[in-house]
This record gives sequence, structure tokens and C-alpha cells, in this order.
Amino acid sequence: MIDQLKARLNLKAVLRNVELLPEIDDLSRELIKDWEISIRLSIWRDTNILLNFHNGRCTFLADTIEKGTVSLFFCSAAHLNNMMENNASPLPLSGFTRLGFLKTEFSKLTSRLEYFLKPPSDVVQDDRFKMINLSLALSTAVFAIPELLQLDPVSRRIAPQLSAGTLQLSVLPEGPYAHVIYDGKGGAKAFTGKAAHPDALLSFRNPEIAQLLVDGTLDSFGAVAKGDIQLRGKIPLIDHTNVILDQIPKYLQ
Amino acid sequence: MNIYRYEESNKWFDRAVKVIPCGVYGHFSPAPYAPVEAYPFFSNKADAARFWDVDGNEFIDYMCAYGPMVLGYNHPAVEAAFQEQHSLSDANSVASPRMVELAELLCDLVPVAEWAFFARNGADVTNLAVMVARAATGRDKVIAIKGGYHGTSPWMQAPGHHGTIADDHQHVIRIPWNDLNALDQVLAEHGSQVAAFMASPYHHPIFEDNVLPAEGYWQAVIDKLHKNGSVVIVDDVRAGFRLHLGGSNEHYGFKPDMIAFSKAIANGYALSALVGTDALRLDAAKVFHTGSFWYCAGSFAAAIACLTTLKAEKGPERMRVLGEKLTSGLRDVAAGHGYTLVVSGEPAMPYLRLADDDTLMLQQAWCGECTRRGAFFTSHHNWFLSTAHTDGDIEKTLQIADDAFKVIKSEFGH
Repeated sequence: MIDQLKARLNLKAVLRNVELLPEIDDLSRELIKDWEISIRLSIWRDTNILLNFHNGRCTFLADTIEKGTVSLFFCSAAHLNNMMENNASPLPLSGFTRLGFLKTEFSKLTSRLEYFLKPPSDVVQDDRFKMINLSLALSTAVFAIPELLQLDPVSRRIAPQLSAGTLQLSVLPEGPYAHVIYDGKGGAKAFTGKAAHPDALLSFRNPEIAQLLVDGTLDSFGAVAKGDIQLRGKIPLIDHTNVILDQIPKYLQ
Repeated sequence: MNIYRYEESNKWFDRAVKVIPCGVYGHFSPAPYAPVEAYPFFSNKADAARFWDVDGNEFIDYMCAYGPMVLGYNHPAVEAAFQEQHSLSDANSVASPRMVELAELLCDLVPVAEWAFFARNGADVTNLAVMVARAATGRDKVIAIKGGYHGTSPWMQAPGHHGTIADDHQHVIRIPWNDLNALDQVLAEHGSQVAAFMASPYHHPIFEDNVLPAEGYWQAVIDKLHKNGSVVIVDDVRAGFRLHLGGSNEHYGFKPDMIAFSKAIANGYALSALVGTDALRLDAAKVFHTGSFWYCAGSFAAAIACLTTLKAEKGPERMRVLGEKLTSGLRDVAAGHGYTLVVSGEPAMPYLRLADDDTLMLQQAWCGECTRRGAFFTSHHNWFLSTAHTDGDIEKTLQIADDAFKVIKSEFGH
């Protein structure tokens, strides 16, 4: 179960950021501008994703029947997790002529993603870097929620208590934003960007406050009292979501 | 109208958060106060139906310490009774006669009560009630209501939340309020394991409209549970002595096996009581349950004075009338601005919600604007009336509410 959830989080929350990264990082956008390729990663008897690069953009699909130009297969969730830790390689099922591309060009993109998600200790974190890092962290967090609700034991106990509604997470004053739509039946869908009609708002006064929370160094209750974190609307949605988000470090470091 | 600021409160919070987890924890935590900047965190003065925060701002208090303040802060009869007993003996090495007198008073006031057991907080006696039911039946499971609150012991908390484990909820089955079919289903599946059914006399969750018992609901619950050999417990911690001095069950016309009281029992002094029928007396005697401060006699004396005064002043009736005046007035003020204010629950402890916005954001903004003008309103929890509230307080509150509606109308429109 742990391997399965970790693999789903790796695919649907971490690697999903490959879709977002070129939108917010110039170097990544430049990297993919001429790519015309789709890469499918699938785990035997479990889930799959498709990263489709076309016209300088990347689109992400999950649990799709679409085949990729390149198809990479993993025998198990553990196999995929090992690859994410650079301890294993996938089994190519198709697109053998593009394997070189994967090792060179695509690796540059995933390395760029890793650079932002796990910054080297000596990196100079200017405002632009911080904003990209924060955008990716927020995206990872919200896209983890639907997976956690399905497979994490604690989140599964939270799930029946979640009423239907939309929670928007905002880093003020100019974003990033993300939102989660709970269906009231224990499931959720996550999105980047603002929600059309949020039922609850969890807002950070500025990127620095959000970063402290991501780093795990913020006293969130103190921050609420000081207005650094603002809660509005259906606060139980926020309360329950916080418990779910607290489970992420059990699976992703 | 003066708009309050909270510089001193915030300074105290800065100090608090360095030495106290959350700064201010539990139900006083800032978390449900939205917008948080509209609310004070610290006070060191209260009298009658008002408190003053550390910035000197004066509030008409519609939370009444979240229920305990039922006669008003500093009520002379209660304070005198407490001080007299406290000066004689409070903590002691043997029990106080005041404990016996209070038990006798409860057995006189509360028709269900044929014995009384005392503790300090509501959860002390909701826990005890479940232990007594388990001792009496030899069974494990407790049926409770979804969204119902019985304290913060692990089995009472929301599953999955910090500090709880799956096993904590192994024997708690939650069903919807007023749903007899759900009760039938649980009894059909787990009947031989069900020790007790526990619920508040009416459903008063937070962040939601409160719901009164459907006609015949409670009697049907009692009939079904008794037929199953199970015990019926009313958690009257929040509503007790505000609706009826005989217990809120008398207000609705039914008789459970045990009733848990706290909050209003001693007008702010720490006390709770579990009362029950004679059939459970021996089981209650066998359960070991105690605490270091459960015999402090000052609270017993305060409770005797509080309940006696509530009876003499017809407290529940007065709070009902005040609550109806407040809520009907607020509804009218809201309507004057084109808003629809929904009032649910009981008039003495109403829950109010602006129906014009189902996200609660409008409601939160309005309660915040009222609070920063001197009417202490929370947006997530039922309010409380006391016998100390006056018609003048309500008139002033309606003026504050009117001013607050003007502000939110300019901000939110309609």
C-alpha cells in the first residue's frame, strides 16, 4: 500500500509538475519548445500517466488509454519509486528510437524539476526561483490530495467527513493559486489556478509565509492569529485538508 | 460607531505563542475566527453580560464564556456562595457537605436524576456516562450523531485528526441526526454490541444550522434502545439549564437513562455532573473515575446558588424571551438591508446564518464587523443568552448589527 501510494504521488503529483514547469520557467519553456513527443509511464496493474509535448506546451493525462510515442513500463510501484530515486530504469515498450532523447533532453527537464523541488544547498534563491519553487510545491500538495484520500489510512478516515465544496489555496498578493474540489463522497479533484466559486479560502499573506509553511518551520496557529494565514468560508474544509496535507511527508521527502 | 483595535491583545498573543502551543488553544483558538483581525484574544475583566478585552474595548457577550455564564459574570449570589465556601474550605482531604446538598438539589430539580456524580468538565462526565453504560450492559459500542460533540477525548474526536488512532473510533458508530432508519440499521447489524446511544438533546453542530428533534424522535430512540437492552445518554453539557431546569429532555418531553451537565451549572465555576436513574446507580458506583479537583467545594456552593437563582428567576423562560427578541430583531435588521438571516436551534442559544451566501464568508464578515463594534458574535458556533442580558443590550446590539450590515453591503453588495 505504501509503495503504491508513493508511486501514485510520484506520478500524479510530482511528475505532473512537468506540465506546469514550462509555464513558469523560461529555461524549461525553451527546452521543450520544439518537442513533439508523448511519453507514457505505466505501472503494471495500476496507474499510468501521459506527458504530451506539442507546440511548446506539455499536457498531462492520467489513467488514459492513449499510447505514447514512447512507452515506459514499470513492473511494480516499487520499481517506479526506485527509478524516481535513480536506483532503477524503466522497461521501454515502444519508441525505442527515442530512448536517446529520454536520456538526454527529457532528463534535462526532469533535472530542472528536481532543481526546483529539491534545491541544492548552495543555490541562490532569488524571487523568481522562490516563486517557481512555491508554485511547484503548491501544485504537488494539491495534486497529492486525491491520491491520499484513496490510499492513505489517515486521509481515508478524514474522507467521509469532507463535505462537497471547493477550497482555494492562495499565495497573496499575486499567486500562485491552486484549488481542490471535494465531491462530498470522499473524493477530490485538484487544479492549479483560482477557483470560479470557492467555498473556502486558505490564503498566505505573502510568498515568504507560504515558504515557511512548505519548509515546515511555521507555527500555523500563530500565523492565523497574526493574519499571516487567512481562513475564510467553510473552515472545516480547510481543517480537514490540513490533516491530509500533513500526511505528504510520510511518502514524499 | 467606534471600531475596535486590538494592539494589546495581539501583544499578549505574541507572548503566548512563545510559551503555549497555539498561543490560545482549543475552542478559544483564533482558527475559526474569520476574519481573525476582528476578534480580541485576551480579556481580564467581565461583569453581567459584558466583558472588556485587554485593550479596554467593551463587548456585549453573546458567547457567555461558550455557555458557562448563564446568570451574568460576577453574579452576586453565586460569588457570595463561592467566597463563603472557599473561605471555609475548598480543596480538602475529605468530601464537602455541599456536594451532598448539590446532589439532593439536582435530584429534586431533574426528574431523571436519582443520583448525581460530580466532576469538573463536560468530557469528564460524558466519558463516565459511557463507562457506566458499558459496565451496565457488558457491551462495547456507542452510537453517536455525525457532527455531534461530546468533548475531546480521543474516541470523541473526528477520525483521522492529530493524536487519534483508528482504534479510538473502533466502537463508535456515527449516524445522522433524526434518522431512525439509520438507527434501525445499526441496531440490526450491531445490536448485541451496543452499550449506549449518546446525543445532545437537539443537534447543535458548528458551521451548520442547528436542528431540533423531529416529533417523536427521542421517544422512538428510547424505545428502540431499551428494547435492545442499551442505555440512552443525553449530553446536555451545552444546553443544560438554559432550556429547562429539569434538563433539556424535559423541554422536549422524554426521559433518558443518564444526563451529562456542565457549562451553565455553576455560572462559570468549574463543575460537571452526571445524573441517572436508579437502575444505573450500582454500575455508576462500580466505575472508578476521579480527578484531583473534583471535590473542590467552592464550585458545589456556586452551583447550588446558580441553580437556585435560575429557578427563582425563571431563567430558562427569560433567556427564551430575550433570545426571541434578539433573533427576531436581527432578522428584521437584516431584511432591511435585503439580507435573509436564518435562525436555527433554540432562542436561548441560537445559531444564525446569512442565507445569501452559502460559503459563510458573508456571515463571517458580518459577525466580524459586529464584534469590532462591540457585539461579540462568532460565525461558526451557536450563541448563548444569559439572564443578565437586558432589553437595552439587545437594542444596542441591533444598532451595531445595522451598522455592520451597511459595511458588508458596501463590501459584498447583495
